[in-house]
Amino acid sequence: MSTQGTTTKVLSTVGVPIAIVLVVLVVVFQILSPVFLEPSSVRDYITNAIPILLITVGVAIVITAGGIDLSVGTVAGLSAGISLWALSAGASTVVGILAGLATGVLFGLINGLLITKLAINDFIVTLATLNIAAGLLVVLTESVSLQGISVPGFSSLVYGRILGIPTSFWIAVIIFAAMQFVLVRTMLGRRIFAVGVAPEAARNAGVDVPGIRLSTFVISGLLAGAAGVLLASRLGTVQAFLGVGYEFTAIAGAVLGGVSLAGGRGSVWAAVVGGLLLATVQQGLRLNGVDPVYFSIVTGLCIIAGVVFDRGVQRIVFNRMLGRPSGGPPRDVQKTDDVMAGASAGSRADS
Amino acid sequence: MTTTRTQTPATPTRTARPANPLARLGNRLMLDPTLGVITLLILVCVVSAFVLPAFLTLTNLTNLVSTSLIVMILAMGMTVVLVSGGIDLSIGAAMALCAGVTAQTLLLGLPLFAAMVCALVVGVIVGIGNGLLITRLKLPDFIATLAMLGFASGILYIWTGGVPIIGYMVPEYYYIGGLTPLFGVITGPMLVALAVALLLGWMLGSTRLGSHLFAVGSSPTAAMQSAVRVDRTKVLAYVISGVTAAVAGIILAGRNTNVPADLGVGFEIQAIAAAVIGGASLSGGRGRILGAILGALTLAATINIINLEGVPSSYQRIVIGGILLIAVLANRGSDVVSAVARQRRATQAGVSTGSAGRLTDTALHREQA
Repeated sequence: MSTQGTTTKVLSTVGVPIAIVLVVLVVVFQILSPVFLEPSSVRDYITNAIPILLITVGVAIVITAGGIDLSVGTVAGLSAGISLWALSAGASTVVGILAGLATGVLFGLINGLLITKLAINDFIVTLATLNIAAGLLVVLTESVSLQGISVPGFSSLVYGRILGIPTSFWIAVIIFAAMQFVLVRTMLGRRIFAVGVAPEAARNAGVDVPGIRLSTFVISGLLAGAAGVLLASRLGTVQAFLGVGYEFTAIAGAVLGGVSLAGGRGSVWAAVVGGLLLATVQQGLRLNGVDPVYFSIVTGLCIIAGVVFDRGVQRIVFNRMLGRPSGGPPRDVQKTDDVMAGASAGSRADS
Repeated sequence: MTTTRTQTPATPTRTARPANPLARLGNRLMLDPTLGVITLLILVCVVSAFVLPAFLTLTNLTNLVSTSLIVMILAMGMTVVLVSGGIDLSIGAAMALCAGVTAQTLLLGLPLFAAMVCALVVGVIVGIGNGLLITRLKLPDFIATLAMLGFASGILYIWTGGVPIIGYMVPEYYYIGGLTPLFGVITGPMLVALAVALLLGWMLGSTRLGSHLFAVGSSPTAAMQSAVRVDRTKVLAYVISGVTAAVAGIILAGRNTNVPADLGVGFEIQAIAAAVIGGASLSGGRGRILGAILGALTLAATINIINLEGVPSSYQRIVIGGILLIAVLANRGSDVVSAVARQRRATQAGVSTGSAGRLTDTALHREQA
């Protein structure tokens, strides 16, 4: 089709519209405050953002399969606590890392098994495990002191350098690449999309739907565990409320990147871009001396504007692919969209 | 009083009603969608009454009810939104904002009545904002109300500058906050919660808006094809939850006697938990006001028992997580019991068991979908 140019194709890729916004924002912030792109500043804010980005990717994979995981934030906090606890008890760095990862995987397994075996709604199960993980961390921090623990090998996860770039950055890039590979190139990834688009159809096609959903929760738990380990390595101290509220930032970041809460639409790099956008906005505000009390309002505005922009671009691209004028959607398309939006809102939490 | 409407259609077996009133009561209980949470609540209370002598005292029970009221009022608003197929994450932040509005307007010297009206107006505005973001900008409910959470809590932070608002209490406010009882053990908030419950129960059960809410929550497409104004109904659901947030905020500001910026943090989670424990479904089209009340009481009773037992408060969240899972499983069990009871009645009445058999199946797999 002649109307379907390269621009249209690129723009229709999940995450591209928000990546453009991200680049524009970086340029604007750089003009406003020249220190924005200084290596030390970029290094700081990327290292700070990495744990949240890991969680965002995990949540994005669960959402792509049509589920939701609210427990990721407090599970990451608990993993950080367990990891430091193991180290303070004299365990080696490797054991400390494994303890944190195992905590995440364990919670992912519990979530997945409750959701698939007992057929309880995923929102409720992960809401319950959110509370359980948060409570366990409170109990842990009250019974052992997790202050200022610094094991050289463990701290180098974040503070070490490879080619002048922090180790945690490399770890994150490897994890993101692996996850993107799983999602796009493997049978598991294709099945995750299939389950997210239409679980019934996937089941009829012979896909083990509960198994796929279970594996998405385990992946999300594993990434939450990894985020916890990196948090522990960076902070060296774990307090009772570490990780509380991260789940909302993560879900917002994933949706901002273009991951659909209705399932079936998502990608790892889109989630990373969405999460980075939120982190960049906060960093830009901080460098420009904006009072932190305005952050939550600006973040809220960003989420709304970003999602509206992303969906607007998608709609225009969609119309152009169908050869319709891009000025505005015709009445019947608008109506179909209404039905789809309503139907997805209805079926989303159910899956 | 409250609605008995659920997703499951009424079976045509009303003729098989037994003459014995006790059996009739038993039958009604078996078919009740909140049977699970009622059983759970009774079980928790009976066990703790035996184990803890302090539990069944009048002071403790009044205390228990009083502490549950804020979450109860929020959970009723949340139930309305859940029935319409949405979710309102901004309800806690909206409550805190309304509490702040009440306190600030009182500090400006306005009478209490005017301050309360201001708070209610802010609640309505938050609700309309949520509704318009969802229906006009087509944002997912989760995202729109999450952004609204950011706005509402941000405004309160800017307003208070991190310092709690204090010194706004007027003598009458002690009655509304429940610090001074009206008569006996009955406090103002109890009556307010009762009024909200009766009003919303009537609205969901016996008005056109109520049936539209259930229709929109069960299937927006079908509702639209039946000439229900889907968008208008959704906006109204969020306005109702905004108003309940305002009512809860007015009471909480009166009970707390100060309004810190983080007053509402975590209340949205508790409200959702209470509504879900009470049988509301996150997939929409299912929920009742009585359930929200029982859910809030179950949560409060659990925390109360933990405190009486002398369990460190750090274990609270673990127990809340556990009770949430147990309650949902209890509801699942009660669905099965209801379906079996329906099937038996259908067989007795000589009606084909086809539909009842399907009901058992639906009950078992309802949330699996």
